[in-house]
Amino acid sequence: MGRLIAQRLLAMLPLLLIVSFLTFSLTAMLPGDPADLILGDRATEAQYRMVHERLGLDQPFLLRYVQWLQRAVLGDLGTSFFNSVRVMDAVAQRIPATVSLTLASVLISIVVGLSAGVAAALRPRSWIDRLATFGATIGQAIPNFWFGILLAGVFAVNLRWFPATGYTPFGQSPLGWLSSITLPALALGLSTSAAIARQVRSAMVGVLQQDYVRAALAQGLSRRRVIFKHALKNALIPVVTVLSFQVTVLLGGALIVEHVFAINGIGSLAVAAVRQQDIPMIQGIVLVLVMIVMAVQLCTDILYGLINPKARPA
Amino acid sequence: MSDLVEIVDVTVTYWSRPGLGLRPKPFHAVKNATLAIATGKTLGLVGESGSGKSSIANALLGLVPVGSGTMRFDGQDLAAMTGGYPPEVRKRIQAVFQDPYSSLNGAMTVEQIVSEPLRVHTETGAEDRRQRAAELLSLVGLDPAHLGRYPHEFSGGQRQRIAIASALALQPRLIVLDEPVSALDVSTQNQIINLLYERQEELGIAYLLIAHDLALVHHISDRIAVMYLGHIVEEGPADRVYHAPAHPYTKALLDAVPLLDPERQRQRRAERKRETVPDLPRAADRGCAYSNRCPFAMNRCRVEAPPAYAVQEGGTAACFLLDENEKETRT
Amino acid sequence: MTPRKTRLWLQPSYLAVMVPSVLVLATLVVCAIFADWISPYDPLKQDLISALQPPSARHWLGTDDLGRDVLSRLIHGCRIALIAAAEATGIAVLIGVPIGMFVGFRGGWWDWITMRIVEAMVSIPGIMVAIVIIAILGTGLHRAMFALGILYSTAFLRLARSVVLAEREEVYVKSARVIGASPSRVLLRHIFPNIAPPLIVQITLTVGAVLLAEAGLSFIGIGVQPPNASWGTMLNTAAVFMDLAPFLALPPGLAIVATVLSVNLLGDVIRDSIGRGIRTATPPRGRVQRAATVASDPVMPREDDVLRVEGLEVFVTAKTGEEVQVLSDLSFSIARGETLGLVGESGSGKTITGLAIMDLIGAGGRVTGGKVMLDGIDLRGLSRRRMIEVRGNDVAMVFQDPTTSLNPAYTVGNQIAEVLRRKKGLGTTEAQKQTVELIDRVGIPGAAERAKAYPHELSGGMAQRIAIARALSCNPKLLIADEPTTALDVTVQQEILDLFRDLQEEFGMAMLFVTHDLAVAADICDRISVMYAGEIVETAPVNALFATPRHPYTAGLLSASPHGSDGTPPLPTIPGSVPTPGQWPEGCRFSARCPYATAACKVRVPLIQGVRCVRSDEIRPGRAA
Repeated sequence: MGRLIAQRLLAMLPLLLIVSFLTFSLTAMLPGDPADLILGDRATEAQYRMVHERLGLDQPFLLRYVQWLQRAVLGDLGTSFFNSVRVMDAVAQRIPATVSLTLASVLISIVVGLSAGVAAALRPRSWIDRLATFGATIGQAIPNFWFGILLAGVFAVNLRWFPATGYTPFGQSPLGWLSSITLPALALGLSTSAAIARQVRSAMVGVLQQDYVRAALAQGLSRRRVIFKHALKNALIPVVTVLSFQVTVLLGGALIVEHVFAINGIGSLAVAAVRQQDIPMIQGIVLVLVMIVMAVQLCTDILYGLINPKARPA
Repeated sequence: MSDLVEIVDVTVTYWSRPGLGLRPKPFHAVKNATLAIATGKTLGLVGESGSGKSSIANALLGLVPVGSGTMRFDGQDLAAMTGGYPPEVRKRIQAVFQDPYSSLNGAMTVEQIVSEPLRVHTETGAEDRRQRAAELLSLVGLDPAHLGRYPHEFSGGQRQRIAIASALALQPRLIVLDEPVSALDVSTQNQIINLLYERQEELGIAYLLIAHDLALVHHISDRIAVMYLGHIVEEGPADRVYHAPAHPYTKALLDAVPLLDPERQRQRRAERKRETVPDLPRAADRGCAYSNRCPFAMNRCRVEAPPAYAVQEGGTAACFLLDENEKETRT
Repeated sequence: MTPRKTRLWLQPSYLAVMVPSVLVLATLVVCAIFADWISPYDPLKQDLISALQPPSARHWLGTDDLGRDVLSRLIHGCRIALIAAAEATGIAVLIGVPIGMFVGFRGGWWDWITMRIVEAMVSIPGIMVAIVIIAILGTGLHRAMFALGILYSTAFLRLARSVVLAEREEVYVKSARVIGASPSRVLLRHIFPNIAPPLIVQITLTVGAVLLAEAGLSFIGIGVQPPNASWGTMLNTAAVFMDLAPFLALPPGLAIVATVLSVNLLGDVIRDSIGRGIRTATPPRGRVQRAATVASDPVMPREDDVLRVEGLEVFVTAKTGEEVQVLSDLSFSIARGETLGLVGESGSGKTITGLAIMDLIGAGGRVTGGKVMLDGIDLRGLSRRRMIEVRGNDVAMVFQDPTTSLNPAYTVGNQIAEVLRRKKGLGTTEAQKQTVELIDRVGIPGAAERAKAYPHELSGGMAQRIAIARALSCNPKLLIADEPTTALDVTVQQEILDLFRDLQEEFGMAMLFVTHDLAVAADICDRISVMYAGEIVETAPVNALFATPRHPYTAGLLSASPHGSDGTPPLPTIPGSVPTPGQWPEGCRFSARCPYATAACKVRVPLIQGVRCVRSDEIRPGRAA
């Protein structure tokens, strides 16, 4: 297993390098001069040159990239163009909300998706299957933010069971955290639950037709045992790969759902940064998100190796 | 008269592609193979899975590069044509593959499949092509009215006929038949074998017939070669190899196929030496590749690789049992 | 035989999905094109006095915060949705497909670099990629859709690449290369048509995703810019006035859901109907009739019979939904220590016979008649629970492909030990001990070590030995072996046949040996039943069957076998091919291919004295060779 992790980490290096390069290249692609953006129209030539120098814009592009990368490796993502906040601090302040929202919805999707998918696969064409399939199809067509609006309208505005807006950090009040995160996580987790349910169902239906399932049944093992021991583990193999992709989708979805519930997470930071063309901030956000995604990918790769003996290096 | 195909000392090597930083490892699928196919004749190439018989076919078809050795077709060295075969060579070597279900493109009609070689190599007009495709279909015993149908509308045997029609389209001099009937039912296998035989008689095409079943190959081959783990262990006239095999592996291969006569099969089983170690898959490290399974293996076999010795009744076999010196010492 | 294409989408269950979906999408297109004429008001015209009104006769869907008519804005939103979907999807296809096909076909460095870039893009959350691209291009519908197009092009790129990679390995591509088609011709003429089906499915998926993403981007304010009416911007307004006018969220939300749902459902139907294997041969008539019953000889009970099958009849549901008969009038018996061979070509029903005995045909099929007597008890009458006890303990099975009949996710030792623990109630250590003994018993050296191996680490012969060890772990009375040596090389086959013989001597079980190879049957069986088109045509002791076959089909099979004759072509053949279930002739099912067929063969023939042929006494087919 150690070799698998080492292999995966090694394979991630070029990926990180490419992502960081793509991200950094934005500076070159953005229209207009950052110095103009910061200073506005009425800057003097001297001011302009000073800012230019401070940002290092007079140096060659590749050199700037290498310097930026060096600092990024050491945890320094630069300073915002506009309010001299360190990017690292700003992101660190916002990330807990986004990550806990994502994790909560991952949890919901796995529980809901797995149970619905398995239930549907066990009795193909039964009413459970039809209901689950129908639900999954609808679930994938509902925009998460609209579902969020509906949930907030019913459970927060009308029934007042949950707060309609805001985020309470876990450290401040675990219960408050839970109640602030429930509706957004449900809204966010809906379509992923549906996607996982569909994936589990089709994987399960496929696996149940395999020879080894038939052979296990022929051996006189009970259907329940064959399904939960022999079939499920094999059906989870493709599901795990989907899961890693779905976490990425959820992380992106969180940026939008945050907007519905006025949660100060990465989403609003990113939108503000884009509107102001705050380059260091955009770069920092993308980089941090990618690091999170890669950490998730590493986890799913390890999980994959655990349940699929063929994936382990010989 | 020189042979149509002369394969001399050919080696086919595949390279494994390991992860980052590791060196690729070579795997020799075919080692120093020497074979010849005469014009209008059939060479049967027999071996179990992993013996390298399909790699020889692929090398001859230019689908995999030849590591070393020469491969002459009609006097031209194919092994030297690294950039792919020129059209005039290409159109004279055709092929029929094993699986009639995946060897035909499901998105094309029978007419398109059969006339595709004509489109690639000739300037034939659409009407002439259609007529030629119809002729080809009747040549392989199918109804020319079925030109507009798709492959999925045919049975396995019929699909194999379509594949043969396409291979015949350019009137090639050689057709490589890679397990052409092993995916078919017993009752349709002989239909295809007969068809191949009749077309050869008429058109004078040479066949390289690859199969795992010696009995089947024997029916229409003029010569037979037997492969074991990349080596050609025996080669000779078909009847001689089938009825009087010289190499212990060829004997084992023939003996392993049960006889259709239960009484005789029981007798043979009683006489057979049981192997003590089951299922040894890979070649012995040194010497003769078969030495770790061979009941006649001598010390010499485990150290030295046997060259091809001439067999009295024709052909060769790579086994020290045929060495005159060995015969003397053993008797 | 006249096979036809079955149009799956014409079936009622699909029509029920298709019709509403198409209607919704047609409405969307009509609204988009004729928005200016259909909508009752100007979607941008403000009327602050009548702001945030609920639905009324004047404003069917009410008004928004600026007093604009919601219905009119919704209708104009259709146009934006349509433009968005077309633009983004079109760009994604145009960028993704050519690049994907190119790198898939070319391989090497081109492929490596492209795929690393794609991986990098995919590892950034999609919305974030779009946000960043919009940061460069600026906000607004067309720019946002260009961003989404680039984003979703990765999906098309990967799809096109994977199809090319998969198809490149197909034998037909090999054939095309042998013919001499140039690489570009192989790619465009041979491979490209096979991309079309998954491409269409991916397009529908992308259209749905684009609609959702456009709404999301407009919702957070970087897509379509106010005051223009898009469903996303309308929801943005709705979110703000959630407590004042909750109704505002419904019309645009439902519009999005209905549209995306329709597109996705349509995609599902398309995917199902173009999936491979759907187009199958169907019988020209509607329902297939059950074969007429015939008065065959009853199976003579013998003293030591372990299994007696009487008049077994099985139907399976074909892909077209019709029930097709696959077994009829099937009767045989096997005694203790005896091996009965069930020999037949593909489609003869020999495998389904084994499964029917085990009651493992699965959901697609059902046993409609007959008895399966094991030691005098009819297995068909047993409860599901009792049947589970019978399996493994009394009847066990070995399958054709050992590498797929063992679970890839567990060690082979684990899979044997599991049976010992579950079926014999052994403790973990005892089960472990017996597992190693069993593995040793089937002739695998280093049993304790091999028990820890996974199936994919074993050769085919080794894996089949493990499967046999597992099947025999509870000492069953009957072992069903379904083509157990077909996937193996001949020298390995010989070893496995020896193993079966040795084990039968030791354990004394009865064996039902299913095979297509008469020679294998000659080697291992005591008696043989030859099957053709779902019924037994001849049953005889092995020596008699090979010496004097009595059914023309048996005789034909024997002489057509590669070992059956020693001559040069023309080799003996049986004309025609095996009819598929549902296409059986009404009388004798072999009559269409039989050289001896007469008018008497037009009616169902019973199995009398071990042969199902009206002329067997008179013609004496014998052996051709």
